[in-house]
Amino acid sequence: MGLTRTLSMRALTLFAVLILVVFFIVIILGATGTSDKILQAMVNEEVMMLRQFLAKTIKDPQELEKVIDVRRHELMEFYGLTKPWYVRLPDMAWRVLTLDLGKARTLKTFAGGNKVSDIVIERLANTLILVTSATVISAIIGLVLGVRIATRVGGILDRISSYLSAISYAIPTWWIGIILILVFAFLLRIFPFGGLYSTPPPSDFYMRLLDILWHAVLPVATLVIASVGVWIYTTRTIVLNTAQEDFVNAARAKGLPEELVRRRYIMRVAAPPILTNVILGLATSISGAILTETVFNWPGLGRLFYDAVLVMDEVVVIALTYIFTLVYVVARFLLEVLYVILDPRVRY
Amino acid sequence: MVLLELNHLRLYYKTVRGIVRAVDDVDLNVESGEAVGVVGESGCGKTSMANAIIKMLPSNVALYDGRIILDGLNIVDLPEDEVRRKVRWRQISIVFQGAMNVLNPVIRVGHQVAEPLIIHAEMDRDEAYKIARERMKLVGLHEEVFNRYPHELSGGMKQRVVIAMALVMNPKIVILDEPTSALDVSIQAQIMNLLKKLKRELNISMIFITHDIALASDISDKIAVMYAGQIVEIGAAEQVLLSPKHPYTQKLLKATPRLSGEEKPEFIPGTPPDLVNPPNGCRFHPRCSYVMDVCRERGPGRFEPEKGRRVMCWLYGGENE
Amino acid sequence: MSKSFKEAFQEFWRLNVSKVGVAFLTILVILSIYVIATYPLDFGVRYWNNPAYWADYPKSAPPSWINYFSHEKIPEHHVFSSDKPSNASITESGKRLIYLFKLDFQADRTPTFLSLTIKNVTYYDKPVMIRLNVTRPDGKNIELYGYTVPAPYGDESPPYRRFYDQPKRISLTGDMSVASTLARFLLREYNVTVKPSEVNSIGQHTVIFSVPENNTRFNVLKGDYIFYIMVDTYDQRDSIGEVKLVVGGDVYGFMGTDSLGRDLSVGLLFGFPIALFIGIVTSTITTLLGAGLGIVGGYIGGKLDEVIQRTADFVNNIPLLPLLIFLAFILGQNIWIIVLLLVVFGWPTLTIIVRSMVLQLKSGQFIEAAIAIGAPRWWIMFRHIFPQVAPFVFAQLIFFTPTFILLEAALSFLGLGDPTMPTWGQILEYGFRSGGIYVGLWWWIIPPGLLIIWTAITFVLVALGMEPVVNPRLRRMK
Repeated sequence: MGLTRTLSMRALTLFAVLILVVFFIVIILGATGTSDKILQAMVNEEVMMLRQFLAKTIKDPQELEKVIDVRRHELMEFYGLTKPWYVRLPDMAWRVLTLDLGKARTLKTFAGGNKVSDIVIERLANTLILVTSATVISAIIGLVLGVRIATRVGGILDRISSYLSAISYAIPTWWIGIILILVFAFLLRIFPFGGLYSTPPPSDFYMRLLDILWHAVLPVATLVIASVGVWIYTTRTIVLNTAQEDFVNAARAKGLPEELVRRRYIMRVAAPPILTNVILGLATSISGAILTETVFNWPGLGRLFYDAVLVMDEVVVIALTYIFTLVYVVARFLLEVLYVILDPRVRY
Repeated sequence: MVLLELNHLRLYYKTVRGIVRAVDDVDLNVESGEAVGVVGESGCGKTSMANAIIKMLPSNVALYDGRIILDGLNIVDLPEDEVRRKVRWRQISIVFQGAMNVLNPVIRVGHQVAEPLIIHAEMDRDEAYKIARERMKLVGLHEEVFNRYPHELSGGMKQRVVIAMALVMNPKIVILDEPTSALDVSIQAQIMNLLKKLKRELNISMIFITHDIALASDISDKIAVMYAGQIVEIGAAEQVLLSPKHPYTQKLLKATPRLSGEEKPEFIPGTPPDLVNPPNGCRFHPRCSYVMDVCRERGPGRFEPEKGRRVMCWLYGGENE
Repeated sequence: MSKSFKEAFQEFWRLNVSKVGVAFLTILVILSIYVIATYPLDFGVRYWNNPAYWADYPKSAPPSWINYFSHEKIPEHHVFSSDKPSNASITESGKRLIYLFKLDFQADRTPTFLSLTIKNVTYYDKPVMIRLNVTRPDGKNIELYGYTVPAPYGDESPPYRRFYDQPKRISLTGDMSVASTLARFLLREYNVTVKPSEVNSIGQHTVIFSVPENNTRFNVLKGDYIFYIMVDTYDQRDSIGEVKLVVGGDVYGFMGTDSLGRDLSVGLLFGFPIALFIGIVTSTITTLLGAGLGIVGGYIGGKLDEVIQRTADFVNNIPLLPLLIFLAFILGQNIWIIVLLLVVFGWPTLTIIVRSMVLQLKSGQFIEAAIAIGAPRWWIMFRHIFPQVAPFVFAQLIFFTPTFILLEAALSFLGLGDPTMPTWGQILEYGFRSGGIYVGLWWWIIPPGLLIIWTAITFVLVALGMEPVVNPRLRRMK
C-alpha cells in the first residue's frame, strides 16, 4: 500500500542520514589529523609520566629507553595508533551505530567510571527534565495565546504579540540565562546560580526533588522566554492562514456556529502543522540545550557534548553526535507518522 | 410570489485606496421557482451582492444598508445570531465560486453534507446521513463518494457535493456564484443539466451569478446585468438576450463568440470602472458609444421601456420620468 | 517592473514597523561606517587582544556616569601626561626637568592603582635618573620612587636610546621598595607600625591617599595632591619623551571596562560592522545559493533535482548546533570558516521552498511561451522565473540575517569564535568565563546582549514590514 511504502522510504532515508552523519564525523576527525594528534598527545603524556616514575628505579639510560619504548608501543597499540585512522575510526563508528558506545577517553561519570553509556544515561535524564518542561510550557502558552490572537487579528494583543515575538526571536537564549542569573541569583538571591543541586544535596528524597526543581526554575524560564515568542507567532500564523481558507468562510455561510467553525474547521485543520512544530521544537531543543546547560552549569547531554569537544574526547563526541542525530531523526520520523494520521491529504 | 426582495441594497468596503462601493443601490426581486441570472464582468460586485444577501460581511465593511426582505424579515437589520440560525442554509444557501477549496480537507464529504442537518435541525447522525446520502444521489454521485475525502474527488464531483450540500435543508433560494467556472466544458454541461433538473423537480429559486451571459441564459428565467455595483438592466431572459436595451448589455452580447456566422466578437473599449471613484453621472458613459451630455452629468434613473423590463440608461427616459 | 517596485515600496513604507526598522538599520550602517573609517583593521589583534595596551586602565570598572547615581563618590580615573616639563632647573651635574601634576582628589574611596610610564629616553653620558615625589593635602611629602634608566651595555655607544619601542611602565602598586618607603613614612608621621608586606596587601595607592586610623584602618584623605616627577639628565643633549602618571580610578568611560581593563565602549563599537558583515554576508550567500539551487532543481528536474533534494533533505535532518560546534572546533576559529559552516547548514530551507514555488511557476503560460520562442533554459530561469521568486527570496534574506548573527554570537559565546575580532559574543564569552555574572559586573554583561538583540530586531522589523508585500494574503486585512 502506498502508505507503508512512503513511510518505509522515509525511514530508510533517515537511517541513511544517521549513518552518513556518524561517518562524516569520523572522516573529519581522521582526515584533519585531529584524532591522531589527540591520541598521540595522550600517549606522550603517559610516556612522560612513566619516564619520571621509572627514572627513579632504572638508572641505566639505555635500559630506561628500552622499557619506555616497549611501553610506548603497547600504548600505541591500545589506542589504535598503529593502525591508520581510516581503519581505526570506522571500526569505532560501526560499534557506535549498534549502540556499543565504548569507553570514554577522558571524561568520567559522576561516580568515576568511564563507560560512555553510563555517562550518557546519567545526563540524559537531566537534559530531559529541562527540555520537556520548557517545551510543554512554551507550547501551551503559545497555543492558548496564538489561537486567541489569531481570532482577533489586528487587535492590540496581536500587535503586542508580534513585537514580543520579534524580540523573542532576536534574543539569544543564553543571554537571557545570564541576565536571569544576574537578576535573580546575584541581585535578588532568590534562585541559585546554577548546577543541578546544592552542595551538599539534601538527603531526604522529597527535599532533593524540591532542590532540583528549585535549581531548574531559572534554566527552564530561560528556555521558555526564548522560545515562547516564536511559538505564539507560529501558532498565530498557522491558525490565521487556516482561518482565511475558503472552506472556513463556507462553513460560516452554512450557518455553523462560530464555536464549531473554530474547532473543526480551523483548529482541526491547523493541528498537523502546529503539532509538527511542537515535536520539531522538542527535537531541536535537545541539542539546543547545549548553550543553556553551559550557562547554568547543568550537567546534561548538551553540557557533556561541549565538555567533550573541548577536551576532544573523540569517543564521547562520536557517541553523542550519534545520539543527538538519532533523537532528531526519530523525532522527524514520528512527525511523518503523526502527520499521516492527522491529515488525510498526505496519505497518497 | 416574491420570495426575496432586495431594496436599495448597499455594501461598501473600506480599503487602502478609499471606500469601494461594491453594491450601490441594488433593487432585485426573486420569485418562487424562478432562476435569476446575475451577469457582469469580474469586479462588478456580483459576489459582494451574494455575500450581502446572506450577511457574510468582511471585517472592513464601511456601509451595509437597504432592505433584504425574506419571509417578512429584513435580513439587513437582523442580528447576526438570528441570521445564522434562521436564514443561512435553512432559507438561503450558497454554492461558492471555486469548489476546489470550499470543503474541509480533513473531514469526509458525506459528513460535511450532513452537517447542517445535525447542527441546525438537530437531527441525530444516522438520520442526517440518510438524508445526505439521498441528496448526493440526487446530484448524481455514487454511493461510495459519501466516505471520501475532498482531495480524492475530481472537480466535477466536488461541485456536485457542494450542490448536494446546498440543497440538504431544502432552502427556498440557492445562490450559485460561478458554479462552473473552475470546471472544463464537458463537466460544465453536466452540472448545468443537473441544475436545470433540480430546478424543475424541486422548484427551487436560484440566483445564478456568472460572467458568462450565454451560460446564464441557459438556466435563467430573468437576467440582471450588473455594472459597477449597479443593476443596469433587468428583464425576462429571452427578452434581454434578443433585444438588449442597455448599451453595456449590447456590448456584452456582441463580445460573445458565435459558432455560426461570420461576425467577429467585438471587445468593449476602455477599462472596467474604478469602484472607489466611479465615473460621474452614468457609470458606463466613458465606454458607451451612445453617450450624451446628460450621461456625463447625472446618473440615469430606472426606466421601464416595457413591462417587466428595467434599464438604467438615459436613452430610455427623460429627466422627468 | 519599476512601477511594481514603487508600489511595493509604498506598501512596505505604510507600516510603522518598517519605518522603525529602516531607521534602526540606518543607524547601524552609519555606526559601522564610522568604525571602519576610524579604526585600524587589525584592531583586534593589535589592541584588543594585547593586554599590555590596557595596562593603565582600571580593571572591571563600571562606567563613569554611575557616579551620578552613587551615594558614595567613586574615584575617577586620572591620566596625567606631558612631554614638556613644567619646570627645569640647572643642578651641579646637569639639568633637572620637573613634571608637575596636580590632582584634586574628592572621592570617598582611594584610587585602585598608581603607575608611572616613561617613553623615549636618550642619554649620552650618565644614565638618566627619575624620581617621583608626592605632596599630600595634609602637607606631608613622600619620596615615593627612584629609578635609573639602564646603563650602557658592553658594546653600546652613545647616544643611548631607551624605551623607544616599548615604554617603561613602573607600577607603584605592588612594588616592594615603595612599600618599604611607605612603611617608614607611616611610622615616622603617624607612629603606626605596618610591615612592608602588609602595606603591599593594603595597596601602596591606598596608603598614599589616606590617613591611618590605626594599623589596619585607613581613611581616605581628600584634597590637592601634587606629584613631582624629577628627571635628572647629565648631558645637555639628553632628552625624555612622554612622562605619564596614572592614578587608577574605579570607574571608566562610557561603558566601563572588563577584567583586563579593556574599554568596553571601544570593543562594543567594533562589534557593529562585524555583526552586520557576518549577518548580511552569510545571509546573502546562503539565500543566493539556496534560491539558486531551488530554481535549478525545480526547473530542470530529473536527476539533478533528485540530487539537490536529497542533499537538502540530508542537511535538514542533521541537528544543527552539535555539528556546528564540532566543526567549528576542529576546522579552526576563523571568521570565514564560520561563515562557510553557516552557509552549509543554511541553504536547504530556502531551496525546498523555492523549489516548490518554481514547480508551480513552471507550468505557467508565460513559461510555455518563452519555450515556444526558443529561449534557452538558463535564460528562462534567470529572466522569467527568478523575478517571480525574487521578492520572497529577498524577504528571506532579511529574515535570515539575525539568525546568523545569533548563531555566530552563540559560537563565540562557547569560545569558538574568531579570536582576532572582538564580537559581542566574544565579549560576553569572556565576561561569563571570568565569572563576571557571579560578581555582578552588569555593565559588561548587559550591553553586548542588548546590542545583539537590537541588531537582530532591526532586521526582524524590516522583515515584518516586508511581509505584507511578499505575502499578498495579509494585505487583504485592512
